[in-house]
Amino acid sequence: MSDDAADVRRVLSGDVDAYAALVDRYYDQCARYAVRMLGNRDDAEDALQATFLRAYRALAKYQERDKFSAWLYRILVNQCRSLAARRTQRERVFVREEALLLNAPDDAASGWSGEDEEFVQRVLSELDPLLREAFLLKYIEELSYEEMAALTGVGVSALKMRVKRACDRLRERWERIKHD
Amino acid sequence: MTESNQDPYVEWIAAEARRPVQLAADARVRIMDAVRATPLPARPRRGSRWLTAPRTLALSPLASAVLAAGLVGIGVLVGISTTSRDGRQQAEQPTAVAANAQLPVHDSLQVHRFELRDPLASNVSLVGDFNEWSASATPMERTADGKWTVTVHLPPGRHVYAFIVDGAKGSTWMPDPAALRAPDDGYGAPNSVVLVGQGSAT
Amino acid sequence: MNRRNVRCALSALLAVAMAAPSLLAQGPDPLAKLDTASRRMVQSLIDSARAEGLPTQPVISKAQEGVSKHVSGPVIARVVRTVFLSLRQARATLGSGANRDELTAGAAALQAGIPAAALIDLRHAGRGKSITVPLVVLADLVTRGVPRDTASRAILQLWQGGAGDADLLGLPRAVEQDIVSGAAPGDALLNRARTIPIRLPPAKVPE
Repeated sequence: MSDDAADVRRVLSGDVDAYAALVDRYYDQCARYAVRMLGNRDDAEDALQATFLRAYRALAKYQERDKFSAWLYRILVNQCRSLAARRTQRERVFVREEALLLNAPDDAASGWSGEDEEFVQRVLSELDPLLREAFLLKYIEELSYEEMAALTGVGVSALKMRVKRACDRLRERWERIKHD
Repeated sequence: MTESNQDPYVEWIAAEARRPVQLAADARVRIMDAVRATPLPARPRRGSRWLTAPRTLALSPLASAVLAAGLVGIGVLVGISTTSRDGRQQAEQPTAVAANAQLPVHDSLQVHRFELRDPLASNVSLVGDFNEWSASATPMERTADGKWTVTVHLPPGRHVYAFIVDGAKGSTWMPDPAALRAPDDGYGAPNSVVLVGQGSAT
Repeated sequence: MNRRNVRCALSALLAVAMAAPSLLAQGPDPLAKLDTASRRMVQSLIDSARAEGLPTQPVISKAQEGVSKHVSGPVIARVVRTVFLSLRQARATLGSGANRDELTAGAAALQAGIPAAALIDLRHAGRGKSITVPLVVLADLVTRGVPRDTASRAILQLWQGGAGDADLLGLPRAVEQDIVSGAAPGDALLNRARTIPIRLPPAKVPE
C-alpha cells in the first residue's frame, strides 16, 4: 500500500494527525500550481486551504486504486477555477502588493531573482485561464494528456489545442518584447 | 514529458515556473487547525451489506410505536435510539443508529425529520449548522398533502436551522413555524433551534 | 404493525436518510467566497476562539450562514465577532464546566439581551443538570416579545421548582397561541407558567 493510501486509512479511522502527513507531502507542489495559476500568493493560500479542507471532508470518497495526487489535484484545479471566478479587480490590486512584500529578500537561498519570477508570473497571468491551466498541467506538473483529461474532464484533443495556443501566445509575447 | 520541439522561450518560461514557491510559514498549521475543527470524514459506507442483513435490526417497543404512529417530533425529536421506557428491552438492543456502525464513532448521530407545510412552494430546502447553511445540500421532498420533509442524521445537541422556500415571489429564508426560535443575531432573518436527543417525555 | 413491517419501514427510512441528503455541502467551501479582508478577520476570530478553548464550530457556522445569505463580508465579520464575544461572555458567566450546548444557548440568550445575572442564577439553582433547555426556552420567549425580566424570572422560578424539560419546551408554543389570541406576551407566559406543577427535587420533599 502506498504511503498515501495508508495515511488516508489512518485518518478515516480517526487519526486526524495522519492528515498532516498528506498535507506535508503535497503542499509545496500544490502551492506552486496555485501561485502560478492564480498569480498571487494570497489567493493561492486561500485556494490551498480550501483544497485541503475539501479533500479532508471528501476523504471517504477517495478510492485507493486512484493516484492520490491525481485525486487531490482535481480538487485543487477546481478550487483555483472557483476562486479566480470570484476575484474582483480591487482585490487583485490589494493582494499584488502583498505578494511583492512576501516575495522579498529570502529568495537568496533559491537563487531566484524576484524580478524574473514576477515577470514569468505576469506573462502567465496574461494567458486566458483555460490556456494557462492546460499549460501549467502540461509543463509544470508534467502530466500526460490522458492524466490531464481525467483531472479536468476536458477531452485530450481539446487539451492539446489549449496547450498549443498557450505556447503560441507566449511566443507572440516574446516577439513583442524583442521588438519593443 | 516535456515536448522536444519546443520554442526556447517557452522552455524558459516553463523552467522558471517550475521553481518552488514560498508561502507563509504557518499556512500548513492553519490548514491543520481548520481540519481539526472539522468533523471527522465519515467512513466509507458499506450500506448494501448492512441493509441486506435485517436480522440485526430490533426496535424497542417505544421506537416501534413511534414509527407505527408516524409520529415525528417537529422541532424536538424522540430519538429512535431511546431505550424502552417500560423496561421491556430486547435481548440485543441494536437500534437504527447502533446498527449503522459506519458512522463516525465519536458522535452517535440521531435520525431527525424536518417538516414544513407549504402546498404553494415549488422548492424547499433545509439549511443549518449541520450542512454549512448550503442551499443546495439538503433539498426537501414534497408529499402528496403539501408537506415538505427530509430526514437527516444529526449529532445530539443544539442545532440552528431554517428553510429556504421558493415560491411565486422568489426565494425566502424562513424559520420553522413549529420550532423554538433563535434570536436574530444580525443577519436580519431569525432561525430555528432544535435540541436533538432531548427526550420530550414528561 | 408487525415486526417485519417495522423492519422494512426502518430500512426504507434509513436508506433514504443515508442515500440522499448529504450533510456535507457538495459545493466549494463557503468561507472561500469571502473577500480577503473579511476572511482574515473571520479566521482570526476562529483562531481566538480555539485559543481560548471556546467551541469554534458556532463561529465558523455563523460565517457560513452569512455567506449563504449573501450578506456582505464586513457585516459577516461584525456578526461573527458578536458571536465570538457572546461565547466568551457565556463562558465567563457559566463557568468552565459549561458544556458546548450551554455555551451556545447561553451566548444566544446574552445576544437576545438577557442579563448575565439571569444565567448565573440558573447556573446556581442547584439542580446539577445542564441548563441548555431553560436557556433555549428563555431566548425563544424573549424573541416572541416577552419582556426580558419577566421571562428570566419566570423561567428561573420554574427551573428552581423542578420543572422538567418537556414542561419548559412546551411553553413557547402555548405562549404563541395566547399571543395570537390577543394576550400580551408577558401575561401569556405568566399564565402558562402557573399551570406547570412544582416538582421539587427528591431531597427537598418533606418526610
